[in-house]
Amino acid sequence: MTTTALPALEPPPAPTGNSRIPGNKGIWVGICCEFVEFLVLFVAYFVARAHFPESFEEGAERLSRVAGTVITLLMVTSSFFIACSVATMRAGQRQRSIWWLVAGLVVALGYPIAKYLEITWNLAHGINGESGIFFTVYYYLTFNHLVHAVWGILGILWVLARHLAGGYTTEDYSGLESLASYWHATDIIWLVIFPFFYVLN
Amino acid sequence: MKTTNANLGPLTYAWLALVLLTLLSLGIGQWFHGAVWLPLLVAAIVWIKGTVVARGFIEAQFAHPFIARVLAGFIAFTPVALVLTAFFGSQFARWATL
Repeated sequence: MTTTALPALEPPPAPTGNSRIPGNKGIWVGICCEFVEFLVLFVAYFVARAHFPESFEEGAERLSRVAGTVITLLMVTSSFFIACSVATMRAGQRQRSIWWLVAGLVVALGYPIAKYLEITWNLAHGINGESGIFFTVYYYLTFNHLVHAVWGILGILWVLARHLAGGYTTEDYSGLESLASYWHATDIIWLVIFPFFYVLN
Repeated sequence: MKTTNANLGPLTYAWLALVLLTLLSLGIGQWFHGAVWLPLLVAAIVWIKGTVVARGFIEAQFAHPFIARVLAGFIAFTPVALVLTAFFGSQFARWATL
């Protein structure tokens, strides 16, 4: 067993120059579709915001900023852990990679729990899908994101099962990296949604 | 299996930046409540956070140009739309009225 230091952010050998595909082509077709879907929803958000600016200024005041912040921190932290899982697998440290993936899964599971608590809090404060245009858009966008995150969590479970079964090696870990790419993309989408409803007022 | 030391430093810095920017954006929303230029600041933070994830976690700078462009385009869309809606909201509303 040899030990050498890996330079920062050095990817595995790319086929040609910077033409590397993080994961596999299939997941990037899915990520592109996910981006298009959310772009359409974002356009709906901006059209609604342009038509009803007062509703959007008042609406953000009524939501729980704590819930939005907790979900954001859970998303970026699980994304970080899964990126660490890919980096350690790339370095040949399979056991560490599995533990990072488990940590990513545990933190990711906090998202649906936080969302459940947020919805419970909302309902207790009289906020539902019919509370106005702001809340209709809020529920539509955030529930959609939750659905995509649940798919990601199911993906983490599948990749973890494969990882435990020895399905990935230093030479071939595209399944793990595909899952990581999807989760990072879902993270980017949440980072866009977060200020829409919890910061801008 | 040959093992090497995984350098997790850059990933850790990216994560710390994301956490700090999240807390900063919350503070900005509170401190500059109602300011006309608040959307500009928020747009800048959204763009920086998206870019940190794309470059730090997905390693977009090493990816196929199509993937890099898709990520850059998606990340840029919202900041641009935020600024346009903030300063030209009424015109946009007129165009978007059926």
